[in-house]
Amino acid sequence: MMDLNKQAFQDEARELLVELEAALLELDHEGNDPEIVGRAFRALHTIKGSGAMFGFGDISGFAHHLESAFDQLRKGQLAATADLINLSLAAGDQIKKMLDEAAGAGRADRGRSDDILAQLRRLTHTPDAEPVRAPALAPAPQMVESGPAREWRIRFRPTPEILLNGTNPLLLVRELGQMGELRVQADSSAIPALIEMDPERCYLAWDMLLTTTASEEAIRDVFIFVEAECELTIQPGVAGGPSEPASDVSRPGAKGQRPPDTDAGGKAGGPAATASIRVSADKLDQLVNLVGELVTVRARLGEVAARSQDPDVVAVSEDIERLTAALRENSMSIRMLPLRATFERFRRLVHDLGADLHKQVELTVEGAETELDKTVIDQLNDPLVHLIRNSMDHGIETPEARRAAGKAPTARIHLSAQHAGAYVLIRVSDDGRGLNAAAVRARAIEQGLIAEHAQLSEAELVALILEPGFSTAREVTDVSGRGVGMDVVRRNVEALRGSIEIASTPGAGMTVTLRLPLTLAIIDGLLVRVAGAYFVLPLASSLECVELTREDIAEAHGHHLAKVRGEMVPYIRLSEYFQMRTPRPEREQVMVVETEQGRCGFAVDQVVGDHQTVIKNLGRFYRNVPVVSGATILGDGTVALIVDPHRLVQNAIGTLARGGARSGTAASKSQLSPDNPIHSKGNTINVA
Amino acid sequence: MRAQVVARMAKVILTVDDSASVRQMVKFTLSDAGYTVLEAVDGADALTKLSGPVHLVITDLNMPNLDGIGLIQRLRANPSCKGLPIVMLTTESQESRKQEGKTAGATGWIVKPFTQQQLLAVVKRLLG
Repeated sequence: MMDLNKQAFQDEARELLVELEAALLELDHEGNDPEIVGRAFRALHTIKGSGAMFGFGDISGFAHHLESAFDQLRKGQLAATADLINLSLAAGDQIKKMLDEAAGAGRADRGRSDDILAQLRRLTHTPDAEPVRAPALAPAPQMVESGPAREWRIRFRPTPEILLNGTNPLLLVRELGQMGELRVQADSSAIPALIEMDPERCYLAWDMLLTTTASEEAIRDVFIFVEAECELTIQPGVAGGPSEPASDVSRPGAKGQRPPDTDAGGKAGGPAATASIRVSADKLDQLVNLVGELVTVRARLGEVAARSQDPDVVAVSEDIERLTAALRENSMSIRMLPLRATFERFRRLVHDLGADLHKQVELTVEGAETELDKTVIDQLNDPLVHLIRNSMDHGIETPEARRAAGKAPTARIHLSAQHAGAYVLIRVSDDGRGLNAAAVRARAIEQGLIAEHAQLSEAELVALILEPGFSTAREVTDVSGRGVGMDVVRRNVEALRGSIEIASTPGAGMTVTLRLPLTLAIIDGLLVRVAGAYFVLPLASSLECVELTREDIAEAHGHHLAKVRGEMVPYIRLSEYFQMRTPRPEREQVMVVETEQGRCGFAVDQVVGDHQTVIKNLGRFYRNVPVVSGATILGDGTVALIVDPHRLVQNAIGTLARGGARSGTAASKSQLSPDNPIHSKGNTINVA
Repeated sequence: MRAQVVARMAKVILTVDDSASVRQMVKFTLSDAGYTVLEAVDGADALTKLSGPVHLVITDLNMPNLDGIGLIQRLRANPSCKGLPIVMLTTESQESRKQEGKTAGATGWIVKPFTQQQLLAVVKRLLG
């Protein structure tokens, strides 16, 4: 049990350190905001208090000194200078190292602790080198057998108000009874006439004779909480029992002097504790895998049930479908975490990098409450670190350069997250100098990425920075520019089935948008049939389904336009897009989808219905097919491709924009060939 | 007969602490001893947990939103919590805070760090 407590403390301390760091960095901006100082103080206070409880004396002692400094800060005796904040950040790191050490990873350098504390003493003007004092675990009050049993005469007269603070004097008397042999006589002489009696007041006193081996201290300890609210005398007794018994009440408190008892009328099954438990991520992964298998098997059951036409089987199958869906939803939601912790971590990065690069940068965060699958969040850290480093190093200018350009000396990096259908958009934008298209072009030619005379649009040029090995930085700096550049970000994001978009305005900054799927495992999809093959469209981005008849097609005069509630919506015929040569059916259905480019329809032969889709990877071979985000296995074992509507529309627009003529051949490496999209090895980069 | 049934029902203890590890320790210790333990993360949260029967409150002093002293004052101001035993968790450096807590109406205190035995002894003293 103690180990469990230790583990809980370590987890908690790590969370508190994150909180501390966030508070410190905010202090850096806001100055002495008492609210923020309070947060930092509480974090340290808890680390100190709980650390001592669970045997982390060194951490507790170390935190104690920091806590004192923050207490001074709280009382306004100290200012939150940059030095103090930097030192506190270092101290937080040191505590983290001590925790790592306790967890068996690495060693914390004690000398460093002493260094930090010495600096802290200088900053807080604490003169004496007070030894690191961990609040030691006080020895438990034991029933130490202190020699032979002795007799004690105890007189206990509580003040009448004692019941009001929740004390039950009867329990104190009973506790004495457990220490040895106790004889009690109640003094009821102070009880007034019934009419004057206040049931919330205590009128009794007790004379007791206790024979015990316990010490006088142990006896006094029983009354420690009521010391100020009673008359208490404890004397070594003489044989013969309590003197001058006032009355012969055999049981103390028998005269209706019981304190109000909250037991009465207690309802069984009171409010349930809304506690949370920690579960290892592995177990959650297993759970999701199992649910995935279950969903696949369920699909097969549905298939069998439909074939059997036995109403009982069909009913059971439908019940199971409902339960599976609920189970899936539930197990997915368990894995969803807000992005806050990830975002908050970058404050430190920006703070430290700003100091290294002598740039003034303010990080603003928006949508930190947006939730994403834990796996996605875990793999998101590196790409985001890279993007922020890039911004700080290449994008953002020095304060002097910014002033010269007529901008505020403090630059801004804005991190934001928002939901968009089955995706989350994460943006990193800065107000730096933006991308230099000419430099990108020159560099790309130098590195042989494009031909010297290639005609590329600005967007296509910008996309080049995602190519492997691309870096415009002339020299390698400490921060970025080691040759592992944006292509690493791209690979990471693509591994998550996401995509990157870059928008840059020269002189005004750059925005990188990561588009990530909410989850990597199972989605709600709409199963459609096109020329005998099955596809799945994510339900989250689908708006509605309309029918397309021959007449509608005739009315549109050869354009791919469908009339949806009086509005013209362009559509893409999937059979055409995927080059499946089949006769056009009598009736087609158009799935209307909301994309970032506006509404768009997908014409399919038939909409089969809802499908709980377990996403399977397509494997290395088809990894570069951008319009398909994965595949799923249907009940009868058929494979259906999962279409990414957003990218499909982007691709179609891109193809249209190029007018079908293959311009920009130099960049054709990153074009999707409209003839044979599935087998294209193109790396399509979506550029906003 | 009914009185016996009521007496045998587990007493409910509310632990109020912003430190999850302390809450967990309190909960484990007291659940093992047969008490029903509810948890609250701060004073404000604690006030929402009092709709059912609660026989003892163990509260930390330093907490966000509503601190321990504030919670004790609010509880004592509520007629239904008049005789409710309240234990505060203090650290040595908070002698003045302890006095403040007593004035606000705390029944007892436990000085951090404390052991499971110490916790149980205090709970037994106040709850029987």
